[in-house]
Amino acid sequence: MKEKEGFIDYPEQQMILYVEKDDGKYGPMQTGSYISANYMDDYVYKRRNLEIDLREQLIRGSISPVRFYMVFEDLTLSELAARAGIRQSRVKKHLEPKLFGKVTIDELRKYATVFNVPLANLLQIILIKDKESFESSLILENKADKTSVEQSPTPNPYVVLTKIEERK
Amino acid sequence: MAAHCESGTITSLLNHGGLEITEPLVFGIASGIFFGYFHKMKSFTFPTFIVRNKPGQMRTNIEKRLGARFRTYDFKDAVKGQERLDQLLMQNIPTAAQVDFFYMDYVPSWERVHINVHFLVVTGKEGNTYKISDAYFPKMVELDALSLEKGRFAGGSMSPKGFIFHLDKLPAEIDYTKAITKGISKACFYMLKIPIPILGIKGMRMFAKKVVEWPKFARDTEHLSHEIMKINILLEDQGTGGAGFRFMYATFLQQAAGLINKPQLKELSEELMKIGDGWREISLYSARIGKNRDLGPEKLKQLSDMIYDRADVEERFFKTLSRAIK
Repeated sequence: MKEKEGFIDYPEQQMILYVEKDDGKYGPMQTGSYISANYMDDYVYKRRNLEIDLREQLIRGSISPVRFYMVFEDLTLSELAARAGIRQSRVKKHLEPKLFGKVTIDELRKYATVFNVPLANLLQIILIKDKESFESSLILENKADKTSVEQSPTPNPYVVLTKIEERK
Repeated sequence: MAAHCESGTITSLLNHGGLEITEPLVFGIASGIFFGYFHKMKSFTFPTFIVRNKPGQMRTNIEKRLGARFRTYDFKDAVKGQERLDQLLMQNIPTAAQVDFFYMDYVPSWERVHINVHFLVVTGKEGNTYKISDAYFPKMVELDALSLEKGRFAGGSMSPKGFIFHLDKLPAEIDYTKAITKGISKACFYMLKIPIPILGIKGMRMFAKKVVEWPKFARDTEHLSHEIMKINILLEDQGTGGAGFRFMYATFLQQAAGLINKPQLKELSEELMKIGDGWREISLYSARIGKNRDLGPEKLKQLSDMIYDRADVEERFFKTLSRAIK
């Protein structure tokens, strides 16, 4: 691939590509990600729809919060169990809404670490108003137009501090 | 920045230690180029493939073939793991760490996935924040201690176990002819002769055969679209230098040709660049049909044919390379 064929203007995600330079030598070129530059909207669209679908199932009680995050973060049962340090047979129970109530606080803390969310977020859904609609914090993160939602850990491993304020 | 985290990390430690060597040379000498297809595995929710050798092997191969020595540590206890890292940093020793990419908070969320074999270099600490040189970022980044600990001690497949390493010693002299020859001959062996049907050229053909079955693993069209488009990401975006490492390996061959005076390697580098262009076509095709949700049997058959074609050309290529290096 020639250098000019490989260059993508996308500062948000940079990478090194090995290309043929003008003098015929092969070498590194810093460039943007082709797929992110051209298909990011589609990726966000799919992630948003997946979150909405899982959220509706969660609210209906068809799935447990553990299954919600396991599917959303693309983990297998065995991988989740290994990462959480919980027996696979027990994780399997926690995937079932009727048995999820047997989960201990400490197990919730372990799941929260795997999913990298505050423990409280396993038991709540945060929607943020962005422009005219509400969007999940998992999709929007803290990038809503008018509202800032910041969650920070505290010395207490079971408690998160959530600050909601209007952006100035 | 570097093309790939493990080869980039090793290169930066070697460079810092005084050895002038490029990332492609490190990658090639370490026999980094490879292929493997995983149709069903407990660790993966969907069929997937790899385009490099086993994580960790680059470092051990570089030690064997260049005579460099890395001092390595792993830990059961996260507190001891942090203490040791902090001690090394206090001595101004840049230290590589293996981490789960998912906890690297400086990475945009859309890039973050659970993968336990990301490598980075920790260069310092200020207060509760580590200074990090990550191959995938143009500038130095920072990470809080808790996030680094989560990354270093994540569980699951190929868990890092707090693994860190730094350069201990460089040899007085390096026999590049021997190192390059060994690196290439091992890469050829693994691509051509390893008797496991999911690995090497056989693995490529397995991928070509099985990709037409992917729809039955998908929840729905959106899921299938995501997984087909991931082919582009695995070949181009997850730190390969382009075309599933084929462009970087072509660069290695070009550099090796000059270093050990073997002109045939230069011709082979040009051939591999063209092979890489073929993989690039597969990346673009996957992204296009995924985006358009044009994922019927005909399109998947066409994708399959493109992959079979890469298997054929790479088989011829690695056979020629194997003969060239004897």
